[in-house]
Amino acid sequence: MADDREILKELWEGRIPVRFSLPLEEVDSGEEPESIYLMLPRLSYFPLVTDRVNKHFSKYVNQEEATEMWLAYSEQPLKWHYPIGVLYDLYGDKDSTPWNITVHFQDFPEDEILHCPSKEAVESQFMSMVKEADSLKHRAQIINNMQKRDHKQLWTALLHDRYDQFWSVNKKLMESSGDDMFKYIPFRIYQIDIPNIQKIFKPCNTDGEEQNLGELLHECVPHLWDEDKFTKRVVTHGIEMTLNTPVLWLSQNFSYPDNFLHLCLLDKTDTG
Amino acid sequence: MKEMSTSEIDWKQNIFQQLKLRNKREKEPFENLIQSYSKSFDIASSLKSKNAQLTVEVDRLKEENTRLSEQGGGSSPGFNDKTHSVDVQKLYKLQEELTELHKKRGENSQQIIDLNMLLQEKERELMIKDAKLHDTDAVVLALKSEIKNLEMTIVELEQTNQMLKDEHQALGLAFTAMEEKYRKIQDENADLITRWMHVKAKDADKMNEDNDIQIKKRQAKLQKELIDAAKEPVEIRPESEAGIYVPGIVPICVSVALPNKAQHKFEAHDGEVNAVKWSPSGTMFATGGSDRKIKLWEISGGKCQSKGILTGSNQGIMALDFGIEENYILGASNDFASRVWSLTDQRLRSTLTGHSGKVLAAKFLGDCSKIVSGSHDRTLKIWDLTRIACIKTIFAGSSCNDLVTLQGSNIISGHFDKRLRFWDSHVSSDRSQLLCCTRDDSLKVIDLRMNQVSSSLYADHFNVSCDWSRAVFSPDGTYAIAGSHDGSIFIWNIAKEKVERVLKEHNNAVLACAWHPSGQYVLSADKQKKAVLWSDI
Repeated sequence: MADDREILKELWEGRIPVRFSLPLEEVDSGEEPESIYLMLPRLSYFPLVTDRVNKHFSKYVNQEEATEMWLAYSEQPLKWHYPIGVLYDLYGDKDSTPWNITVHFQDFPEDEILHCPSKEAVESQFMSMVKEADSLKHRAQIINNMQKRDHKQLWTALLHDRYDQFWSVNKKLMESSGDDMFKYIPFRIYQIDIPNIQKIFKPCNTDGEEQNLGELLHECVPHLWDEDKFTKRVVTHGIEMTLNTPVLWLSQNFSYPDNFLHLCLLDKTDTG
Repeated sequence: MKEMSTSEIDWKQNIFQQLKLRNKREKEPFENLIQSYSKSFDIASSLKSKNAQLTVEVDRLKEENTRLSEQGGGSSPGFNDKTHSVDVQKLYKLQEELTELHKKRGENSQQIIDLNMLLQEKERELMIKDAKLHDTDAVVLALKSEIKNLEMTIVELEQTNQMLKDEHQALGLAFTAMEEKYRKIQDENADLITRWMHVKAKDADKMNEDNDIQIKKRQAKLQKELIDAAKEPVEIRPESEAGIYVPGIVPICVSVALPNKAQHKFEAHDGEVNAVKWSPSGTMFATGGSDRKIKLWEISGGKCQSKGILTGSNQGIMALDFGIEENYILGASNDFASRVWSLTDQRLRSTLTGHSGKVLAAKFLGDCSKIVSGSHDRTLKIWDLTRIACIKTIFAGSSCNDLVTLQGSNIISGHFDKRLRFWDSHVSSDRSQLLCCTRDDSLKVIDLRMNQVSSSLYADHFNVSCDWSRAVFSPDGTYAIAGSHDGSIFIWNIAKEKVERVLKEHNNAVLACAWHPSGQYVLSADKQKKAVLWSDI
């Protein structure tokens, strides 16, 4: 299990270098603003880490036309309620780091992304995800038995990037032994330009044997299978998963802080 | 199992490796770079802001500098003597101006101070005025409330007044109703009185008829007796013995004839006739009145003729008494004196003064040498006529209304305090009864031997007219006579305690009555001048 802890620690430490820049057409003042470079944690959300970006670029835009700030990567608006790592895995170009993100203050794409009025909105979204995951795993018994203080601790640990503080609460949610065995696996499958897939999937089959990732994909996306070969790559946390990995272990160790497995299905490249 | 665990370790290891690789690829190359970048970004931004600040300051300083250099430029170029002297002159002028201005300023400030003081004073005045105004406001408020109270009282009083008026009206109505009733009752009363009078007149007629019949009977009897007597042999007796009415000899009353008719009516005095008295022999009588006179009268032919008037009293005569020998007459007067006149020459003999009140009664005491008088001053006095002096004063304690003498030594006096007082009563004889006219409208006959009231005489309409009304016995003592307030004269039978006769001739209160010693005549005197002689014929 020492390995598991190391893996968890590695996952927590995951960072992405990002370059934020303002498109020229939105620049109002005479001089062109400098881009900003940031190392962003994969497990966090954009609204929690972009205060500085907002502050820096808002000086250069037309104050009258400026609305809420929103982000895009090569014309693709980025949804703030997905973890940064998921967005990077799904859209990011692995060959050109840092990740080039444009910052917009105009023409908010109302039908593609949600408004984010404050960090409280992110918090309530995060907590609802955690509760959904626990209702799948333990019929919400554990999360409901927790105190308000523990809920707050989960959030603040994420907000301030505190690993020990987070896991001291989160390990109760990841408990899976005896009666507290996961009932279902909370997961989502993402593909570019296709709505994400979420289905009910038990960690063990009717015979009591643990199921692996391949069997999960068989059940959820059977059309992506060519004979016995899966036509896509399964990427999460920036690494490609082998299909024989047991889903229970994945759920326990590879879940994002919102307790969901976020699996991105990408086209096979030559390098992959 | 071992294979399983090793394969498990394998994939885990694989994952771990991949992660490490990932971090190596994505994180490590950039971590330090971005760290130092953000540091330099911060520095750059802070420097930028500082720079902007400095440029602003520089601009300011530059501006200031140009301004200063302009100022400096104005003064620096003309630096030769000519301009200098002009400048000096200018400077002097300016200095002078300056001093002048300073002065002015001083003056102005002085003025300001003065004005300030004035203002303060005014403010103080204003404050005082304000305070006064406040006070007057308070007074006005108080007065207003008082006015309100007074108005309320007025309303109340008006209400009460209205109520009283209503009451008064109601009472007035009641009063008129009562008056109406009273008038009705008066009318009824008058009616009743007339009816009553009518009945009375009828009664009187009947009685007169009776009397006439009786007289006729008596005359018939007398005639019969005369005829009888004429039949008897006549005895001749000396003439002197035959006369009944001989002066000096007291006639003896055989039987009393009750009077039933006024024989003669005459005006005796001007005003009240207080006293009337027969002489002991019955030949004459005297009356005394409020006109201060005593009149002597004689009966001749059924008429009363004046025989003389005795003057000398200064006030009305209240009581009379004849001396036993008929040579003196005594009058008690309201002028506090008693007087004695001689009858023979009808002149005032002596005046007895000494009482301090009206003398209401006077009597000869025994022979004509002593007199007793009773006065309103609550004393009785005994006088000696030979010395014309008071020999004794008796303090009775109550004003004396009448006196009676007994056998020349005993005095019985009737008093205002409803009492009879007996004085010096050491002899007694056949005159054992005393008649008292009392103020309870009755006559009392007192048995002097028993010192008890033996009989009381009442009558329905008998009212005693005044304190000194006198009642008398008939000469034989069987009857008592007294005058009433309404002018009637009542005659009682003492033994029967019953009214025997009522005589009505007077129109005023009867003050005194007197029975002739022979019992044939009765005299009565009233308050209004009149005296009446009564007889049974």
